[in-house]
Amino acid sequence: MAGLNGDPILGIDDKIENLQYNNNNNSNEAIDKEGLVGIGEESSTCYKNNQGGEKDMAGNSIHRSGSRPQLDLSKAEIQGNSEERDPTILLPNQSDDISHLALDIGGSLIKLVYFSRHEDQSVEDKRKKTVKERLGITNGNRRSYPVLGGRLHFVKFETSKLNECLDFISSKQLHCGRIDSHLWNSEPPANENAVIKATGGGAYKFADLFKERLGVSIEKEDEMDCLVAGANFLLKAIRHEAFTHMEGHKEFVQIDHNDLFPYLLVNVGSGVSIIKVDGDGKFQRVSGTNVGGGTYWGLGRLLTKCNSFDELLELSQRGDNRTIDMLVGDIYGGMDYSKIGLSASTIASSFGKAISDKKELEDYRPEDISLSLLRMISYNIGQISYLNALRFGLKRIFFGGFFIRGHAYTMDTISFAVQFWSKGEAQAMFLRHEGFLGALGAFMSYQKHGLDDLMVHHLVERFPMGAPYTGGRIHGPPLGDLNEKISWMEKFVQKGTEITAPVPMAPPGTTGLGGFEVPSSRGATLRSDASALNIGVLHLVPTLEVFPLLANPKMYEPNTIDLSDHKELEYWFTVLSEHSPDLVDKAVASEGGTDDAKRRGDAFARAFSAHLARLMEEPAAYGKLGLANLLELREECLREFQFHDAYRSIKQRENEASLAVLPDLLLELDHMDEEARLLTLIEGVLAANIFDWGSRACVDLYHKGTIIEIYRMSRNKMQRPWRVDDFDLFKERMLGSDGKKPKPHKRALLFVDNSGADVVLGMLPLARELLRRGTEVVLVANSLPALNDVTAMELPDIVAEAAKHCDVLRRAAEAGGLLVDAMTNTEDGSKGNSSSVPLMVVENGCGSPCIDLRQVSSELAAAAKCADLVILEGMGRSLHTNFNARFKCEALKLAMVKNQRLAEKLIQGKIYDCVCRYEPAPAS
Amino acid sequence: MDHLADVSQSQTQISHLALDIGGSLIKLVYFCRYDDSCRDDGDELRSQNDSLCSKSDNSKPVLEGRLHFAKFETSKINDCLDFLRSMKLRLGGFHDRTAPSSDKIFIKATGGGAYKFADLFKEKLGVSLDKEDEMECLVTGANFLLKAVHQEAFTYLDGQKEFVQIDPNDLYPYLLVNIGSGVSMIKVDGDGKFERVSGTSLGGGTFWGLGRLLTKCKNFDELLELSHRGNNRILDMLVGDIYGGTDYAKIGLSSTTIASSFGKAISESKELGDYQPEDVSRSLLRMISNNIGQISYLNALRFGLKRIFFAGFFIRGHAYTMDTISVAVNFWSKGEAKAMFLRHEGFLGTLGAFMSYEKQCLDGLTVHKMQQKFPISVSSAGDNIYCSLNSNSDENGSIECTVYGT
Repeated sequence: MAGLNGDPILGIDDKIENLQYNNNNNSNEAIDKEGLVGIGEESSTCYKNNQGGEKDMAGNSIHRSGSRPQLDLSKAEIQGNSEERDPTILLPNQSDDISHLALDIGGSLIKLVYFSRHEDQSVEDKRKKTVKERLGITNGNRRSYPVLGGRLHFVKFETSKLNECLDFISSKQLHCGRIDSHLWNSEPPANENAVIKATGGGAYKFADLFKERLGVSIEKEDEMDCLVAGANFLLKAIRHEAFTHMEGHKEFVQIDHNDLFPYLLVNVGSGVSIIKVDGDGKFQRVSGTNVGGGTYWGLGRLLTKCNSFDELLELSQRGDNRTIDMLVGDIYGGMDYSKIGLSASTIASSFGKAISDKKELEDYRPEDISLSLLRMISYNIGQISYLNALRFGLKRIFFGGFFIRGHAYTMDTISFAVQFWSKGEAQAMFLRHEGFLGALGAFMSYQKHGLDDLMVHHLVERFPMGAPYTGGRIHGPPLGDLNEKISWMEKFVQKGTEITAPVPMAPPGTTGLGGFEVPSSRGATLRSDASALNIGVLHLVPTLEVFPLLANPKMYEPNTIDLSDHKELEYWFTVLSEHSPDLVDKAVASEGGTDDAKRRGDAFARAFSAHLARLMEEPAAYGKLGLANLLELREECLREFQFHDAYRSIKQRENEASLAVLPDLLLELDHMDEEARLLTLIEGVLAANIFDWGSRACVDLYHKGTIIEIYRMSRNKMQRPWRVDDFDLFKERMLGSDGKKPKPHKRALLFVDNSGADVVLGMLPLARELLRRGTEVVLVANSLPALNDVTAMELPDIVAEAAKHCDVLRRAAEAGGLLVDAMTNTEDGSKGNSSSVPLMVVENGCGSPCIDLRQVSSELAAAAKCADLVILEGMGRSLHTNFNARFKCEALKLAMVKNQRLAEKLIQGKIYDCVCRYEPAPAS
Repeated sequence: MDHLADVSQSQTQISHLALDIGGSLIKLVYFCRYDDSCRDDGDELRSQNDSLCSKSDNSKPVLEGRLHFAKFETSKINDCLDFLRSMKLRLGGFHDRTAPSSDKIFIKATGGGAYKFADLFKEKLGVSLDKEDEMECLVTGANFLLKAVHQEAFTYLDGQKEFVQIDPNDLYPYLLVNIGSGVSMIKVDGDGKFERVSGTSLGGGTFWGLGRLLTKCKNFDELLELSHRGNNRILDMLVGDIYGGTDYAKIGLSSTTIASSFGKAISESKELGDYQPEDVSRSLLRMISNNIGQISYLNALRFGLKRIFFAGFFIRGHAYTMDTISVAVNFWSKGEAKAMFLRHEGFLGTLGAFMSYEKQCLDGLTVHKMQQKFPISVSSAGDNIYCSLNSNSDENGSIECTVYGT
């Protein structure tokens, strides 16, 4: 049975869904994986207190009364076999639909936030079950109520095109409280009680229309409450949410959760609200101005005939405001008024030159008008905001709202104003999800959405796959199924010329006043769509946790290579692009090489290159960009086009070939003395690491011989000292010196890399050695496929095969519950054979060749609790990421560098150099 | 131009002139001696029949007369030059003392145009402009008016003008907001003690510039006039427009509060030509007045100043402008602060420049009887734009005063 279900937030229709699932255990289990799970008894304590007008900040226990939909838990019963984990809970008396959609209907734009459940491909296999039992993990173990794993999507529409918005909602059936509409084959039920949370003035104005068109009631949430709730959530939960933007340069700001309040929130919509935020639900609207986004657009329309806000913004990039603004120099005949700090290019009077009798509106360039207007309004907002920050002694000012739209020049002018007026004391910061504060807040106001105590590590922001180039902007039909997605990519490619190269930025300008200098970074990069959402889809994975062995989680940065260096970025883009055709071939072959597979392969290639182009243009589009993100993008993109495991057959072939020679290798090792064996084992790990389909150099190698030939050749070439060689230190730790035998490690976590020789001939023998010394071994592998990396799903079979020829491995695997199938045959209480320490396999929670240790699976986190040795193997996990990571316990990083550039950069070496870095546990 | 005739008929001699040449307007202050007091403008010591002059440095001639105020659009600077030429300036008293042999004649001037048009004045009138710092002039002018002129400052709310009596001993500190083409905000702590603390580029020039582009109005005053008849609800997005007619009472916004100036102009169904210029002007005026009021209040708050004086040519004694600024200050300060206006708002800089003669050749300017008269002769110099605004024109009244000459 199953799981599930009751996702309280999501309400009612789940019943139906559950029933369907109950007929099909497999699919049901699939959903369960993210820990959605049943409702706990304490669920009533988690109601979000988000009262509209009430300012009771202290208590969180107030229940909304009246109209707010609540789950009716009466007569709830567990369905099915209650011995299963996470049983379905039937809520027969739940009467209201609770939607997964929230809206912010502003004067100009409608913002939507909606939730979709993860389409989970993985299966709750036996391995997982035993691991969980062994490690004592339960899904969502820190919570007594469920949080759904899924995705938060962000979409916007113009308010004037409300019908498009209604169509979108209707086509996705977002209003029906259904999460995965693809499972929904019939017409939605006419539920009179369906309710959607909405904020913004339009929530009042269009309530009737929603009722009429969609049959849903709008439940209004207070606008300010929503803004603040949204901002607080983003600032706490999204790692790279806030950034500064000065002179075209974007820099993410790390904000300590404990030091967030108070701050000033400036929401620039049609008008501007300025809010002082002191805590969750504690805030005050202290000021505002009527000169806002609506003014820009309104005046802009009257003056330029532009048809959209974005077009107007776009114009401003090419404008010269000096033709319209009266500058200090115009008044002083080109001289500065330096006595009071006004330079000649300072704007003395916005539009002050337009008083000229000689020129009419038609004589001015719309570009110049747009720029003058933009500067006038941006400066003004910056100034008023700063004055208010000053008034309350606030150092941080966050600007949000749709006026900003990630538009570089707007942000620059606001930053400039704040910097200018504060003389550098205050800083303007921006939020990537700027336009969605209200909608997110409204979403949060659903009871038990479970978002309010999500932590940073539960959220993974991923590239929006539906429409990569525009970053999720919706025009025309929403991209629903795969076929639409492919068609979209095909169409997209026809106008592929629109992918523009970055435009170099002008050097920084100087300061002015009244005053403002003509900023230099006018426009920064030219984008064909200035309003592209600079945000991805938020994946909520409630089971993710911070790796407990990180020495300093706050300071931890997974990426070793900083891609903010443009050359570095270019290099990796080239590498990825060049590797792409080969990958497509593999992917298509893995799906049988059918026409459909070919079509999907093409679409993947286009989507991937479009993503790359977009990131080239704006590397920080989805937060700080690291190589790990780029590599993950590729994998995500493959999965998006349903290539679930492009290297499946290659991995299989290599595993078989390697397993075939493993017994010989083990025999060879067993004939060595301890010291020679340890060296050979480490050499073996490094040598076997040459098998890497992610490395161009290695792919070429494959044409030169069989796996075993290459492995032997590679091992024979191992000549110490390696480029980074701490082997002697490690050996001393393992074998001791002066005849003293050190205590063996209690538990070692081995982060494995590639399939085939790498894991079979490299890591397994090392694991075996540790086991023999009495150390528990946990093999940590990917949750999802990435290149030819071995996955946690595949490992048990490999281990089982290896165990056939090795008692050490067999007993340890049995003890670790990996040989479930084998045991069922011989089950006779031999379980009690505790003579061996266990060998276990856990998944790491990711599907990338790299690993971000801030976000790992709960089972890895649990397994790490009593580990005292971490071994990271392979370039992705020990060099590209985590090369500089420090752990609370001992760590060994092993990799062969199969990339010339990386070798030079990281270890001042060359290709095929090896890294064996041993770091003892920190003293304290 | 009537005034020219008047002046020449009455044989008035302009002897002391100061200019404030701004981005949009040129303001003039000049002193005319009474005929009977200048029979002989040489070294005759005048016997004075009034005692209002506190100074009695008998070594200097005392000149009695009137201070007159006039203005021109900067774009029509030639009119101004013609006016000055026709006035037969008597500038004998202002030879450069440092170079007595030269024929250089100086006129005190301030504003950016004092730099920009210096050559033009030299060429056309043969005079040199002696540049005075703009801020200093503004402050000097304001201090003078606030201390010396009775009923100079007033509040304006809901159409009610109320004069404020200010104790000269309790004048400082105050915030002076000068709204010219742009806006300067100056904290004044005493005579010659001041600091420009802020400003904004949304000022009179913005109103006029945007207004011209949007309405085809020919001048500032016509645009102001239009705003009288306009309705800002047509273009401004009000709180009620967003909330479907209801207030957003929770945060104190009534349904008529402007949420977004020109926010309704985003409508796709209307073009610029579909809007009445009156409504455009009204929205523009409210936008700019509101904004100035707000930023001024925030700056007053910052320095703990209770008094904010608004001056400069943007205001022009225009009731609706003053009303909007007052409302803004009142709204944001929750009634704590009051906007005050000056009757001679447009002439602070010029007056200040005029006062700066003291340093060189005038020892004092003393106001007689605190008396102001409606301008009979000169106030509408430069244009006929005031004919429709007579009721507002008293800011240009002349002031009877005494000047000590060299």
